This record gives sequence, C-alpha cells and structure tokens, in this order.
Amino acid sequence: MSSPNDVVAAVIDHPAYQELLRKRNRMSLIFFGLTLVIYAGFILTLAFDPELFGRSIGNMTMSIGVLSGVLVAVSAVVLISVFVYISNKVYDPLLADIVRDIK
Amino acid sequence: MKKIGFSLGLAGFTISTAQAATGQASTSAIVMFLVFIAATMVITWWAARRTRTTSDFYTAGGGLSGFQNGLAIAGDYLSAASFLGIAGMVYVSGFDGMIYAIGFLFGWPVVMFLIAERLRNLGRYNFADVTSFRLSQTPMRVLAASASLLIIALYLIAQMVGAGKLIVLLFGIEYTTAVIIVGSLMMIYVAFGGMTATTWVQIIKAVLMLVGATLMTGLVLAAFRWNIDEMLAQAVETHPTGRSILAPGASVSSNPLNALSLGIALAFGTAGLPHILMRFFTVADAKEARKSVIYASSFIGYFYLLTFIIGFGAIALLVKHPEFFNTGPDGSFDMLGGLIGGTNMVAVHLANAVGGDLLLGFLAAVTFATIVAVVAGLALAGAAAISHDLYANVIAKGRATERDQMRISRISTVVLGVLAILLGIIFENQNVAFMVGLAFAIAASANFPVLVLSIAWRGCTTRGATIGGFLGLITATTWVVLSETVWVDVFGFAAPITPFPNPGILSIPLAFVSIWLISTLDNSAQALKERAAFAALTVRSQTGIGASAASQH
Repeated sequence: MSSPNDVVAAVIDHPAYQELLRKRNRMSLIFFGLTLVIYAGFILTLAFDPELFGRSIGNMTMSIGVLSGVLVAVSAVVLISVFVYISNKVYDPLLADIVRDIK
Repeated sequence: MKKIGFSLGLAGFTISTAQAATGQASTSAIVMFLVFIAATMVITWWAARRTRTTSDFYTAGGGLSGFQNGLAIAGDYLSAASFLGIAGMVYVSGFDGMIYAIGFLFGWPVVMFLIAERLRNLGRYNFADVTSFRLSQTPMRVLAASASLLIIALYLIAQMVGAGKLIVLLFGIEYTTAVIIVGSLMMIYVAFGGMTATTWVQIIKAVLMLVGATLMTGLVLAAFRWNIDEMLAQAVETHPTGRSILAPGASVSSNPLNALSLGIALAFGTAGLPHILMRFFTVADAKEARKSVIYASSFIGYFYLLTFIIGFGAIALLVKHPEFFNTGPDGSFDMLGGLIGGTNMVAVHLANAVGGDLLLGFLAAVTFATIVAVVAGLALAGAAAISHDLYANVIAKGRATERDQMRISRISTVVLGVLAILLGIIFENQNVAFMVGLAFAIAASANFPVLVLSIAWRGCTTRGATIGGFLGLITATTWVVLSETVWVDVFGFAAPITPFPNPGILSIPLAFVSIWLISTLDNSAQALKERAAFAALTVRSQTGIGASAASQH
C-alpha cells in the first residue's frame, strides 16, 4: 500500500483522470449556466417586463407569470435530478476505474 | 381569560390561554405539542448515549442516508418564516410572494453544481474545514467564524422574535415564556443529543410539515373542485387589487434593481449558510451528498408549490370567515390589514377554515416544532464555529483534546441558547424584518465566494480570500445598516443613504472581483505553496480519496 501522497500523485498522472476532470468540470459549468439562464431570465423578466407576466394564458385566469414561476421552480429540481443521474451513471464508474487502477 | 394551569414537565412553566383576540390555544394543539416534546426528549436521550466524540456531536457519526439528510435539510430550510411568511406574502401580494420562494429554491442547483460533493469530500465538521484545506488555518477560520456567527445571530434573532410572537398567538402564552421555552428546548436537544438529536427532530418536523401542508392543500383544492384556475379566478375577484395579484407588483416595479439584488442574494446565499452546509458532513460520501440535494430540493420545491396554493386559496377562502378579522361596528373588515394576528397567520387561519380545530391544532404544533428545530440547527452550527474553528484550530492550533472540544462545544451551546433568549427578549419590539435578508446577503457575499473560489480556482490564495471575504461581509452589512430597513425603520433617520435595501448586486461581485484581483497580485511564497496544493485538493474533492469516513457504531 502506497502513502496518500503517492496515491494523489498517481491519480494526477493517470491519463484518464485529467480527461475526466475536464469533462466533469464542463458538465458542472453547463448545468450552472442553465440554472443562471433560467433564473436570470425569470428575475429579469419580472423586474423589467412585468406586463408580459401579467398576461393571462388563453381564456384562463392563470397568468404567464404564475405559470412560469411554477415551471421555473420545477426546472430547478429537474436540473438537479439530471445532473445527479449523469454523475451516478457516467462519472462515478469512471472515477472508480481510475482509483482501482492505482490501488 | 381562561387559565388552564397546565405545566410543562421539563421546566414547570405555567401556560394559560388568553382570550380569542390573541391566543387561541386549542386542546388539540397542546396535546400534539406535548406529544412532540415527549417524542423529541426520548430521541435526545437516545442520541445522547451515542454522542461521545466531536464527530458524533457535529456529524451524527457521518452515517445518515441521503434520504434522511435530504429531509433534515428540508427541515432546516423550511423555517416557520418561510412557510407562514411566504403564504402570508402570497395572500397580500400574490405573485410577489412567489418570487421569494423561487429564489430560495434556486439556491439548491447552485449548491449542487458548484459545491455539494467537493464539500463532503474535503471537510469533516463544517465548511471552514474546506476553505482552510489548502489555505492558512487562522485567517480562513476567523473569517468563516465571523461570518457564520453573524449570520447565525441574525437568523436566531429573527427566528426567536418571530417565534415568540407566533407562539403568543397560537398558544396564548406570554412572549417571554415562549422565548424561554424555545431557547431551553434547543439547548437540551443540542447540548445532550448533538447532531443526532437535532437531525431527528428536524426529520420528524419536516415530515409533519409536509403532511400538514399536503392535507391543507388538498382541502383547499377540494373547495374549488380541484380546479386551480377556478381558485385563481375567485382569488382575483376577491382581492382588492384584482388581477394584479397574478403579475409582478409594487415590491418589484418600485425598484427593479432591488428585486434583482434580492434575487441574487437568495440564490447564492444558500450555498453560504453555515447550518445548511454543515448537514453535508452527516452523510457517508459524495454520492449520498448528491442524493441529499435531490431529496432536499424536491421536498422544498414541493412544499413551496403547496404554499402558493395555500396563499392564493386563502385569498378566496378567508373572506368567507369574518371571525378571522377585526371587524368594524357594521361588520365590515379590511381583508389585508384586518386579519387577526397579522398576515403571518394566513396559513393558520386557513387551516382552521378548511380543517377545523384539529387541523388548526396540528398546524400550531408543527409551527412550534419548526421553530425549535430550526433554532437547534443554528445553535449547532454556531457551536461548531466557536469550538471547532475558533477554539480548536485558532486558539489551540489543533492541539485541543477530544474532551476539551466536547466541553467547549457544550458550553458554547448553552451560551448560544442563553444569548438567543436574551436577544429574543431585547429585540421583542424591534423591526427584525431585515435580518434574514441580511443573513442571506452575508452568506452570499462572504462565505459563498471564498468557498467556491478556494475549491474551484487554482489561483485563489489566503490573502485574496481573506480580504475579499471580509470586504463582502463588511460591504453587505454596512449597506443594509445604511438602508431604509435599518437606517430609517430602526434608527429613525429621515432618509436612507443606500439607494435600496438589498446589497447583493454590489457586495457579491465585489467579493469575487477582489478575491480574484488580490490573489492574482499575490506572489508570496505562501501563495505559491497554496497554488501548488490545488492539484491534491482536486484529487480528493473529485475522488474522495482521503475523505473523512463515517465513524463506527
């Protein structure tokens, strides 16, 4: 069994690790970006175009604002769920492979 | 005034029901409340026997499942303020009330995508373990503890004052007594049962709250034949401002920049709240941390959707019950200003309207449970900042024994409990509305930038993080003090100095930019060492190799 520092060095030198790191960081940034777009879109619309949010949908009483508020809330949970699904199915096994290679 | 001379076993307080105008303690509320207290005392007794080490005390041994932790996080997050407060805001201003809830909810994707897993892999007890992982212990711990204790103090005061007043209304007991009961229960849970007891209190409370709100929403929707649009139509017809409750209203249009600033602080504040971040160390590994976020955000999102329905439903339903309002001699009443107990009581009155005495009692008991549980979570995070950050790592420089740390943890808990009670009493008649907003702003402007940059950016140095973090902290605090909510409403000056109350739009970017700039300019030997340590940090944060494991029981 090697010392912790050797393990860390071995992980850093592992060819698959750097590749994995890049992909994973990119995924985090993409999801974070999507979150920002959705949330900022919602906040900016309500702040600067409140008229639009007040309009009703078809002949219902429900307004665009109330419906999009609900959809935006749901989207937060959906984004998190997709992110966790990908992490579990794709990245965890790849990471486990790297760790197994080294030990 | 009817006295029922009923005493609480643990402290011997005498509780009396006041007349209908203030207190409305129903027998069912008191019975359910006592059952809750009894159950949580048994849990605390059980937890106390399992709490031997600091790891037990702060992380419940680290072996909770993602599901349990998700529920506990939801419990921490869904304070009485966020339930009763948001329902009340929707009742008063419709759509504007939804904005807060959506902002609170969007803290979760930020937590998930930027910090949750790395946090778990890098830390042991609290987030300061993570910020000081490759940066210097002393400045990082002092920064984290300063921001955390300030956030906790603000949150505690807001909870204690809000809680005290609610309990006066719900149970008809005196304000001071209410504050002492909450503070004492919190001390017992935390000092004896640590994180294990706090977590289980939180889980029970979260389940009760979800069940209660679901039941209430069902009853509300049933009143409109399960037709949400019908409910909205009646709400629009009833509300004095009519259709504008379905669109952004006065709180936004009067100052869009303020709305934007608030929105930013709400979304980024969650990822800097010490009592929330602390929960990630109670699970075994990064995978369970991820699961915690899914469960937590689902429960929180679901709960907020229920709250929207409760708020809009209340607009249409409460006016059919003049007994909930202060009525004039001709029987007329003001639907917004005349509600007995104020608009925080919207959900409580609605429970009475749709579910009668039993549901009212249930909701009152759940509210009390919520207050105690949230306050306990805050106290635990405060104890960690004092004993783990300031005592063990700054004063004793890591040489404190396990026994010393446990002793300091328990003493801190008692001190925080007493402080919470005193602050609750001192601030009874103060305007505390700004405090939760300020707590979020500090979390987003001091803790969040330091945490994110120290784990995700190689170039971040101690000097940059310390100066940037304190700048964020000071800017956010000063801004709020000089704003309308404190400068005018609390200090009584004629005009505010800052243009609008929420500092996030300035303080958050300022913290990020100054951490970046000062770190970039930092070429000290220390800075070079810290940059070199980033690769090892990344390996651990990604793979979990070397991460602290669950303790064996």
